[in-house]
Amino acid sequence: MEQTIIDYIKNEIHAGDQSLDIDPEDDLLGSGLLGSMEMMRLVEHLENTFHFRVQPQDMAIENFLTVAAMARYVSAARRA
Amino acid sequence: MIYLLPHTILASADRDPTQEAFRCAGAALTYAELVQRADQLATVLYDFGVRRGDRVGIFLGRSLETAVAIFGILRCGAVYVPLNPKAPESQNHFLLQDCGIRILVTHPSQRRSLLKLLGARPQVQGIVGMSEVEDYPAVDWPTVFAAPPATFAVPRQVETDLAYLIYTSGSTGQPKGIMHSHASGLAFVRNAAARYAFGPQDRFGNHAPIYFDISQLAYFGAPLVGATAVLATDAHTVLPASLGRLFGEERLTVWYSVPLAITQLLNAGALAGQDLTSLRYLFYAGEPLAPRYARQLAELLPTTRIANWYGPAETNVCTVYDLPGPPQDDASIPIGEVWDNTERLIVDDQDQPVATGNSGELLIRATTNMLGYWNQVELSTRAWYTHVTQGGSTERFYRTGDLVREDPVGVLHFLGRRDHQVKIRGYRVELSALEAHLLTHPAVAEAAAVTVQRQADALSIVVAVILRAGDEATVQDLQEHLAAAFPWYALPESLYLRESFPRTGSDKIDRPALQSLLADQVPS
Repeated sequence: MEQTIIDYIKNEIHAGDQSLDIDPEDDLLGSGLLGSMEMMRLVEHLENTFHFRVQPQDMAIENFLTVAAMARYVSAARRA
Repeated sequence: MIYLLPHTILASADRDPTQEAFRCAGAALTYAELVQRADQLATVLYDFGVRRGDRVGIFLGRSLETAVAIFGILRCGAVYVPLNPKAPESQNHFLLQDCGIRILVTHPSQRRSLLKLLGARPQVQGIVGMSEVEDYPAVDWPTVFAAPPATFAVPRQVETDLAYLIYTSGSTGQPKGIMHSHASGLAFVRNAAARYAFGPQDRFGNHAPIYFDISQLAYFGAPLVGATAVLATDAHTVLPASLGRLFGEERLTVWYSVPLAITQLLNAGALAGQDLTSLRYLFYAGEPLAPRYARQLAELLPTTRIANWYGPAETNVCTVYDLPGPPQDDASIPIGEVWDNTERLIVDDQDQPVATGNSGELLIRATTNMLGYWNQVELSTRAWYTHVTQGGSTERFYRTGDLVREDPVGVLHFLGRRDHQVKIRGYRVELSALEAHLLTHPAVAEAAAVTVQRQADALSIVVAVILRAGDEATVQDLQEHLAAAFPWYALPESLYLRESFPRTGSDKIDRPALQSLLADQVPS
C-alpha cells in the first residue's frame, strides 16, 4: 500500500521524477510534495483504486500527513 | 517605546516572559524564548555580513521558524523578504535578483525546493537553517540556537526604515516588491488593536503564508498586545477537518484569513461540533465572501463579530465593514468605511472627486501605506496622487486602482478593478497580462481573458482566442505558451478558439457579453 501511494506521487503528481526520495514518514504537505490540488487528485485516486469514500471529517492531519498515515487510514476505512 | 516592529516582542517579553508568543503544530515559543532565538539568528546573520537595510530572504513553509526568521532579520536592522517555496523557480529567482538577496533563511523540510532554486545559480552567498547545501556556506538551526545571544550590534534605526518587502504580480507579469516600513506595519496592527480592543488574553489564528500581507496581523498584532499567535501548518490549510479542530483545541479568539479558507471549512462541515464560544472576531479580506456563506457563519457563530476588511497590500488594510448581522439578501457585502487615521477620496479619470453615489477610483492616505515599489521609481510615482496643501506640504494618496461607490449612509461598495486585475484563490492575476502574452504567440490575432463563476465559491479564468487567418495552433499549444510564463494559479481553466468576439459600439471586445457566452460553454 505504501509503495502504491509513493509510486502515484512520483509518477502521476511529479511526472515520473525518480530522483524523489519519499520516506513513508515524510510530511508531504510541509515539504511541498503535495499541495491542495495534488491532495485532491491523490484522494480521488485512492478512492477509485481501493473502492471506498473518504468522508469530509476524515480529511485530517492524522490520516493524510504522511504516506504511512494514509496507508493506515485506507486499510482501516476499507474494513469499515 | 515601541517604534520598530521587533520592539513588540521585547516589550511583551519584559511584561510576561513566559507567555506563549507563537504556537505551531503543538510546539510553542514564549516571548523570552522568541527574543533569545531572534537575537541568536541576528548574531548569525551579522556574522554573515548582513547589515542595516540588507534584504534577507525567508524560504519557509508555515512553521515556528517563520517567527524567529522575521524577528531575527528585523533585529539586526535588515529587511525580510518572504518567498513562496512552492512558486515556480523562475519567479523566486527573479525575486532574489530583483532585491539582491544574498542570505536565505530556510529549513531542511524545504531542501527539495531550495536545491531547485539554487540550481539556477542566483547570487546567494549563504544559507541559514540547513547544513550541507552544495558548496554554500550554511549554518543549521541547532548551531544558530547554540550561539551566544546578542553579540551583534543593534543598529540605530527610525520607524520609517524599510522593514519588509511583499512581492505581488504586476501589470507587466513581473512581480513588484511592495516596501513597508516599521511604521506602516505597526500602524496597521495598532489600528486593528485599538478598534477591536485586542489584549494579552487573545489567541490569533493565522492561516496566511508570510508572503501574504494577511499574516501580519498575527505576526505583529499578537506581539503588540502580548497575545499568542497560533500558526496553522501547511497541512492544516489542505485538510479542513484539522483546521476546524484548531479553532476549538486552541481556543482561538481572533481569526483572519481569505474567504477561501472559511468557505472550505463551511463546505467540509469542519466547524460543526467544534466549541467556538471563544471566538470573538472573524475577519476576512482579499476577496468578497458570498453572502450565503456570511449567513452560514453568522448562524454558526452567534456571538462572534464578523468583519470584512479591505485594502490592497500597498495599504495593509484601509476600510472595514463590521457585519451588523446575517446578510438579509444576496447583495455583495460592502467594504465599509475607512478606519481611524485614514483619509479617502473617490475620483474620476481626471482625478476629480465624483458625486456621492457615483463610481470612482478609491484613493487612500494613511500611515499604513507602503513606501513605494522596490527599485521601481516610475511605477512608484504613478502609484500616488499628490496634493500640495496651502502651506506647501504634500499629501500622498495611494491609487488603489479599485472602483468603489459610496452609498447614502457613507458605506463604500467595491465594484471591481479599474484595469482587469482579478483575484483567484487569493492571488492577484492581471488578465491583461495573460492577453498580452497570448498576443506574443505568432498564431494569435486577438485574445480576451475573463473570469467566470463555474463553482459557487470560486472564480475561474477562461480565455478566448481568435487565430490569425491561415495560421494553425491548438488549444494545447496556447496553454503551454501561457504555462511557460505564468504561475499555476494564473493559468486559465479553459481556453477556447473562436471565429469572432462580441463587440461594443466602439468595436472593443464586449467583455461582459463574452463573459456570459463563455460562462455557459462547457469547460474544455
